[in-house]
Amino acid sequence: MNLEHFLKNEAPSWMSKDGVDADIVISTRIRLARNLAGYRYPRSFSEQEAKHVDDVVTNALTNINNVMFSHFTIKEMPALQRQVLVEKHLISPLLAKKEKSASVVISNDESISVMVNEEDHLRIQCLAPGFQLLETYEIADKLDSYLEKHLPYAFDETFGYLTSCPTNVGTGLRASVMMHLPALTMSNQMKVITQMLTRLGMVVRGIYGEGSENLGNMYQISNQVTLGKTEQEILEDLQNVVSQIIQNERKARQSLMKQAPIALEDRIQRALGTLRYARVMTSDEAATCLSNVRLGVDLGLIKGIPISILNECMILIQQGFVQQYAGTTLQATERDLFRAKLLREKLNSVDENSKEKGEEKYDV
Amino acid sequence: MICEHCKVREASVTVTQIINGQKSERHYCEVCAGQFHPFHIDFNKDDNLQLAQLVSNWFGLPIWKNETQEKQTQAAQTATTCPTCGYSFRQFLNEGKLGCSQCYETFSNKLPQVLTKIQSGTKHTGKIPGTTTNNHLLLKKQIDKIREKLQQAIVEERFEDAANLRDEIKDLERKLEVGGVDTP
Repeated sequence: MNLEHFLKNEAPSWMSKDGVDADIVISTRIRLARNLAGYRYPRSFSEQEAKHVDDVVTNALTNINNVMFSHFTIKEMPALQRQVLVEKHLISPLLAKKEKSASVVISNDESISVMVNEEDHLRIQCLAPGFQLLETYEIADKLDSYLEKHLPYAFDETFGYLTSCPTNVGTGLRASVMMHLPALTMSNQMKVITQMLTRLGMVVRGIYGEGSENLGNMYQISNQVTLGKTEQEILEDLQNVVSQIIQNERKARQSLMKQAPIALEDRIQRALGTLRYARVMTSDEAATCLSNVRLGVDLGLIKGIPISILNECMILIQQGFVQQYAGTTLQATERDLFRAKLLREKLNSVDENSKEKGEEKYDV
Repeated sequence: MICEHCKVREASVTVTQIINGQKSERHYCEVCAGQFHPFHIDFNKDDNLQLAQLVSNWFGLPIWKNETQEKQTQAAQTATTCPTCGYSFRQFLNEGKLGCSQCYETFSNKLPQVLTKIQSGTKHTGKIPGTTTNNHLLLKKQIDKIREKLQQAIVEERFEDAANLRDEIKDLERKLEVGGVDTP
């Protein structure tokens, strides 16, 4: 598959399926860090080692029969395309900056990506819609078990899978759940939850990258500990914590509906209006409005907008995508114009069929 | 009391350090303490510095120290360097990352002290290459859990929930039968 397939202005196909608890959990991600024995880590290896690792890994992956993978070399990609892949979470910002033989191998439905020569030789990543930690881990585990037969993994009986950073050593497993928590945020409960999670060995981050703490009320919750616990224990602990947060969010939503139904609906409908008609839109405002509209859809206050459109918009409002859509690099103020246009197109097209008779139509 | 650093202003901040079980107290004024505080260091120099700073904090390395101390600790820590990548333990503490797999062997006696602070143990208990972990057990466990919820839903007469839970169980059981997902 050529690179254009992965740069299209739409959500990846794995996202279109409905997941479990999809009203609160957007997606689940599993990441496994692995290194090959006999090569130094990317931070200290030579160009020759880098090339060799890239070849060996790519070879092993392209020989798989039932999943089609495509291979891309990072330094051959223009900066904007790298950014689009980062925004789709297919590669990390670190990989996008790499100069030595770094590459990424992506499955055609974009649910699996393997980064080569990032911080570690291999970063296996699997994505799935909704809340499915065990199922997603199983996919990653199978790919890992396949690869270990063809690659000499660096493994130590005491320390487990060896990684460049001691925060990944052991299982090399980082499991993350992307959650939409507007009601818990509005009722100021996120601070307490964040502190509680830290004590349980878990981390809360914003999903639009560093420093975007609660932009769009989106949070990424993942395990911090990778050594001293089995994969199963790590996943179960995270599963339990996330299930509890889901329950709390549902409760908080109900009490919001009870206490301030008018204020809530006003906020939600205003957000929809803004998305449909605004001419200038910063990414902050877009993320906030999308969060409100999503809440409206979940609560049944807005009808006719599928969640999949909102998922797509969440990805498209990022600056790399906006420029991709415009077909050129843009200044921040220009981006805001194109972002507004993009959102209008996406959100006004959805309910064309449900429009009442007599309403004006621009083209027939 | 007068600040130990500038020896001009009144000391108002007490810094307590414990190194190898030895406690020492320092008294600084607010101005000097502000300069010493680890989070006032210019992070822009290096992206990884923040983590490195944390690692060295965990390890109990003082952030500021006089020159003789610095030389002593440096001498002790550069003593061992990794034969494969040339990393020293000092370098690891500064950067927070290791250079190669050999490092784990080279620093095997010092690493556990760092690991206990950031991990829940120092020994790997998870997957081992060459063995297949039984994910079926996991799925079965999950099914049992949902069954419990289902029972509860029936008792509480939440039939819509019960129907959803039943479907969830069916889905999982189907996965068990086909042996999970058909990726290699």
